[in-house]
Amino acid sequence: MTGEGQGRRRPAGPIAETQVDLRVRLGDLELEHPLLDASGTFDAAETARRVRGDFFAAFPYAAYVPKTVTSEPRTGNPPPRVTETAAGMINAIGLENPGVEVWLEALSGLTALRQPVIVSVGGNTAAEFAAVVRAVEAWAAGRGDARPVVVGYELNVSCPNVTGGLQIGADPGATAEVVAGVRAETRRPVLTKLTPNVTDVLPVAAAALEAGSTGLALVNTFKAMVLDPATLRPFLGNRTGGLCGPAIKPIALRMVAEVAAAFPGVPLVGMGGVASGLDALEFIACGAAAVAVGAANFAGVETPRRILAELRRELAARGFAGAAEARGVALGDA
Amino acid sequence: MTTSMPEHAEQWAETVRCRVVSARSFGAFAAVEVVAPAVAAAASPGQFVMVAVPGEGFFLRRPLSLFTVRGDRVGLLIENRGRGSHELARAAVGDTLELAGPLGTAFPIDRVVSGLLVGGGIGCAPLQYVADELRRRGALVTAAFGFRDLRQSRAAAAFDIDRLWLTTEDGSVGRRGTVVDLLEGVDAHPDTVVYTCGPLPMVSAVQRWAHAARLGGWASLEAHMACGTGSCHGCVVATTEGYARVCSEGPVFALDAVAAP
Repeated sequence: MTGEGQGRRRPAGPIAETQVDLRVRLGDLELEHPLLDASGTFDAAETARRVRGDFFAAFPYAAYVPKTVTSEPRTGNPPPRVTETAAGMINAIGLENPGVEVWLEALSGLTALRQPVIVSVGGNTAAEFAAVVRAVEAWAAGRGDARPVVVGYELNVSCPNVTGGLQIGADPGATAEVVAGVRAETRRPVLTKLTPNVTDVLPVAAAALEAGSTGLALVNTFKAMVLDPATLRPFLGNRTGGLCGPAIKPIALRMVAEVAAAFPGVPLVGMGGVASGLDALEFIACGAAAVAVGAANFAGVETPRRILAELRRELAARGFAGAAEARGVALGDA
Repeated sequence: MTTSMPEHAEQWAETVRCRVVSARSFGAFAAVEVVAPAVAAAASPGQFVMVAVPGEGFFLRRPLSLFTVRGDRVGLLIENRGRGSHELARAAVGDTLELAGPLGTAFPIDRVVSGLLVGGGIGCAPLQYVADELRRRGALVTAAFGFRDLRQSRAAAAFDIDRLWLTTEDGSVGRRGTVVDLLEGVDAHPDTVVYTCGPLPMVSAVQRWAHAARLGGWASLEAHMACGTGSCHGCVVATTEGYARVCSEGPVFALDAVAAP
């Protein structure tokens, strides 16, 4: 836990919200607050087009994690791709994206974005993951930005809606191969995004870290199914999809806590059903350095700003002078 | 085709809280009017709003077509057919609805002299706003609406369109059959532009009829949505140019661009 939070006594009483320092460190990355967007749920360019004023000047996330990009274009899964479920939703988008070359052109257009970008990388093989990172590194090397646009990678070895994705993340050896292949292409931080669709997440986490992953992000969605009540057939075009939203939060918290306890000091991004500031604080308490907001983005563009304000309030109410101070307080003995 | 749609700059993703000033019930449907000046000022027929379902336990907002836009009031037509729409249909005068919009592409209506509006079920909703705008421009408006049965057909009373033909599948109101059966007997003026919205099989049948009648037109499609603003790619439909997002590349597509189900 790099000494943050864990083992400290709980502060005495509430403090003023203005006294709360939201800055956190995710490995070597300094973030102005702990909130990131979960890949696939928040498109900065699309959102900026629809918000009055300078959206990028008040960008709500500390870093931007775009939708997963793959080496070749992907058309994605047949519709329907989403629907609501009890306390959440299910999706099977299938990593629709234009491929890394076209995708980088779009990234070049995001010059007004002042926050760093953590590129979510997908693929069916280790070579495909490496190809995306190689392309991004070549793009970055050709730019000469004073401040790097891309500050790291998140390896999506855990998408439940594509052939290959889930299998990689469920297999420690395959995960290690992907991480090692990417590690050979970049010196930037690499987060491996873990799937919850395994009996034990720790062997996969260990394999990713041993292969050179800087940190871990968890959880991706839970493989699930919804039926069309009229036909009793699977509702989604892909038959199965990934379940997310508040319904999965307790399981996600348990898994983040397990990984945080097993790998103290490893940078962790926690996610799964975060819809409020208290939810975010719970992930921090379970050992996450940063917290990603996913499906809750669909409730409105105001969501991240609301969650951040609530997080500040929740920290102040409990006397935590900083987000980092609350990290890991749920772990270990009471 | 899909790329030829006009870009609508004035699309607002920010949530506004709107007071319900009118709520009327029509069988399984409710017509609800809210005061939403910013939405009304930017809106065009065919566009939609994302509406939060009141109460606890709902996660995704629901996309609802603009039914009417009159002054600073925005009207929505809601069919009570699921848990979320059931809650929305219960909205009463004085309640507050949270919504964002207008969103999506619009039906092109300028310089149209004659519009044929073909709707099925809740798909009729956006066609009132089209009728209002066509009428305001002096165009001839004819509408053909199809409903399942007597109960669903009560929605017709929510509409204000002079030349409105009705069909029901069970023959309880208007002509028996589908709205496409009714079109088969129509000899439309060659300048007529078709505006359609409804279930994909109906839209597809309208497409075939319009093609045979050498008429151009536009179709509004529906889909389950998550973000409503182009972010998540959850609401795609098949078009002749591949998958397209209903929320941002639609909901209005060129009729020819709709791929058969």
